[in-house]
Amino acid sequence: MPDLPELDPVVHGRLRLALLSLLSGVEEAEFTWLRARTQATDGNLGAQLLKLEQAGYVAVEKKFVLRKPQTLYRITENGRQALTNYIRALRKLLGSGVDE
Amino acid sequence: MADDTRELRDRLSIIESMIAEGQRTTESWGSTFVLWGLAYYVAIAWSRWGHTVWAWPVTISIAAVLTIVLAFSKPGGHPRTTLGRAIGSIWIALGISMFLLFFAAGLTGRLTDRHLFLAVMSAILGMANGASALILRWKVQLGCAAVWWAAAIATCFGSDAQSIIVFLVAIFLCQIVFGFYGMIANTQGRKRQAPLHA
Repeated sequence: MPDLPELDPVVHGRLRLALLSLLSGVEEAEFTWLRARTQATDGNLGAQLLKLEQAGYVAVEKKFVLRKPQTLYRITENGRQALTNYIRALRKLLGSGVDE
Repeated sequence: MADDTRELRDRLSIIESMIAEGQRTTESWGSTFVLWGLAYYVAIAWSRWGHTVWAWPVTISIAAVLTIVLAFSKPGGHPRTTLGRAIGSIWIALGISMFLLFFAAGLTGRLTDRHLFLAVMSAILGMANGASALILRWKVQLGCAAVWWAAAIATCFGSDAQSIIVFLVAIFLCQIVFGFYGMIANTQGRKRQAPLHA
């Protein structure tokens, strides 16, 4: 029986996985855009982004644009690597039946 | 076991749909295409019946301001993507080129050859749509580019009235219809989304 890979618990959460996937396709994104795409509540989204930030998977930048606060998130190299490893592990777990 | 597999497949589909969501850029610009289509109609009507050199520069300036206002008023902000920047650059460069060319030509009274004016405008719009379509690999937009290129040729050969009709039809197809198509595609994409929870 081959060793089955472990799934990274930080990446595995549905919302955190969605956030990392979204951020992997863009250079950076606003909190409001992430909220609109995931349709998550402010509190839940903020909490999950904080977990990703604490794990070093996303970086946060806060600034003011036209006097309005703007919070920008971008995926870090560690985050991208974690997502890649997660997808690899997922495909391994699902076996060869899943397309590359 | 079957539940576990379903759960894992669900995770894969989240990844795929979210990556695709992040890459979606042009569809949300449908309203801008419609706005510019209407602006061209206004400018044509104004210059034809108003007989003023200011028709094009003023209409284009107002449309440019409205485009900026529209861009900033969209809810949810915009993600910064390499693809988005590439497509945005094409349209910004097109806007600047058209504005400078037609503003200068209009002011100096050199917009006397209507055939050439419509042909140049059609060719420029064909170039921008073509470049965008090739980057996005979007056949519908490539179709728009083909219509503009055909209009550029047709306006050179047709009579005054025929050239205007060709140009109006091209605007209708490539700005109004294509714009509404983009808006509908964008709305349908949003409807398919379901809320995600931790």
